[in-house]
Amino acid sequence: MIEFQGVYKDYHTGSHALEDVNLHIDDGEFAFIVGASGAGKSTFLKLIMREETPTSGEIVINNYRLSRLSRKQVPYFRRTMGIVFQDFRLINTMSVFDNVAFPMRVVGAKRRDIRRRVEYVLSLMDLQGKSHRMPLELSGGEQQRVGLARALVNNPSMIIADEPTGNVDPQMSYDIVQMLTEINKRSGTTVLMVTHEHDLVNQFNHRIITLEKGHIVSDTGRPRRTGTVSLGEMAAEMVAEAAVEMGGDAE
Amino acid sequence: MKLRQIFYLIREGLRNTWQNRLMALASVGVLICCLMLTGFAYLIYVNVEQMFHHAIEQNVVAVFLDKDLTDAQVEKVGITLNSMSNVDKVKLITKEEYLAKYAENLTEGIVESYQGEKNPMPNTYIVSMKDLELFQDTLDEIQKIRGVEEASYDAGVAETLSQIRGVVLAIGGGIIGVLLVVSLFIIVNTIKLTVYNRRLEIYIMKSVGATDGFVRFPFVVEGLLLGVAAGGTGYGLMYLLYQAIVDNLVIKNQLFSLVPFERQWLPLLVGFMAGGMLVGVSGSAISISKYLKQEGSMRS
Repeated sequence: MIEFQGVYKDYHTGSHALEDVNLHIDDGEFAFIVGASGAGKSTFLKLIMREETPTSGEIVINNYRLSRLSRKQVPYFRRTMGIVFQDFRLINTMSVFDNVAFPMRVVGAKRRDIRRRVEYVLSLMDLQGKSHRMPLELSGGEQQRVGLARALVNNPSMIIADEPTGNVDPQMSYDIVQMLTEINKRSGTTVLMVTHEHDLVNQFNHRIITLEKGHIVSDTGRPRRTGTVSLGEMAAEMVAEAAVEMGGDAE
Repeated sequence: MKLRQIFYLIREGLRNTWQNRLMALASVGVLICCLMLTGFAYLIYVNVEQMFHHAIEQNVVAVFLDKDLTDAQVEKVGITLNSMSNVDKVKLITKEEYLAKYAENLTEGIVESYQGEKNPMPNTYIVSMKDLELFQDTLDEIQKIRGVEEASYDAGVAETLSQIRGVVLAIGGGIIGVLLVVSLFIIVNTIKLTVYNRRLEIYIMKSVGATDGFVRFPFVVEGLLLGVAAGGTGYGLMYLLYQAIVDNLVIKNQLFSLVPFERQWLPLLVGFMAGGMLVGVSGSAISISKYLKQEGSMRS
């Protein structure tokens, strides 16, 4: 859950990046944040990731009241979310496997669990067989899927995607949003995707929040479910996922 | 932090060191130079100290006793001298021994005429002192002892040696202190470059929820590794260089005697390894902590 209550953010330069932002995004929602350059999207994300603190107002994310978060609590808060970046931000000296495994190592997961989970997440991203490759040996789309796998590997309750389609072709852009949509539907993970690509956004039936000059100028609200996935399909997928996590076969 | 995380971070530290081997080599080179300069300052200090102690051993006071003292009284003066806190060694030269020592310089027949009661030589104690700083005070005390006629000494040597010792201590200590600070400064700045080169990696670590300790650990391992490498290599080079000096300058030319390396191998080894590790670890820790506090793009 993301809650912004009367949030203002001013920088030392005197610019007002965000002004009186009020917003509520429920658990399990998929929301696009759209806006042109300078609309305040980056500041919005920095506040969510606790890279910046608001000048005034209150932000509550995943039950963490960010203004009361101590320096030591920040890493634990960040572990509740997975972040996907526009420029992928993979560690080029690490293999695909190690890049994806990295967040699990940060939390001290067991080696066996890491191997199992990473292989599973890579298979979800259609990256089987590429786990030993280095990031620079992959295409842009593949690198972004590695970034997505890394964001997913710790099973976060929320995924923050910062212009994830900015460096890939239109078809791959569509595929990435489709993947995020699937993740959102299958596991109920909240997805917040920042983008300036209106055409892409309009191809999906998700909530759209538009920022302009630091203000929220429109919010479509949560759309009704269109029933793209049946309950039976969801149940089958959940069973398959659980089976793989327990070391079995998805089939 | 869990044990498996520690093992992982140690592996990461080793991997990072290898990946940044050129930078690591530069750091090790700088650290070796600083450690060797410090090592030489130490060896100079040890050698001057040896000369100083050797000179002290030569610096003795001759305590001449009254000629009419009985053997018991002579012995009593000896006990008093031995009981003085700054007196190191006391040796009695009886008047017979004194006479015998000078006999070869005397014409025949004279020695025989000086036997027994006619012996003009005094019973003499040769006294060496522990601390030359207290030389004058101790001498005054000796002269006050009943039965002591005169105490003969070379005040100039005592004072000069005392001054040299003070200067050596101050300069040696100063050089070691300054070099340690300089090497720490250089390591901090070299590792700061490594940290800067890896800022994206640090950003990613922080974005996935790594604690400052987790981010810091591989850098500290890297610093430790650089310190060990610099300490070991510096020690080896120091040994070769010092041996070359001893073999070529001292033995061939017989200028003066230097303390053999074998007598100082342990303190030097401990000093090089501990110094290298201390500077490497603290240099890394300072650099990365400063970065995380001030310049980390993923603030927390």
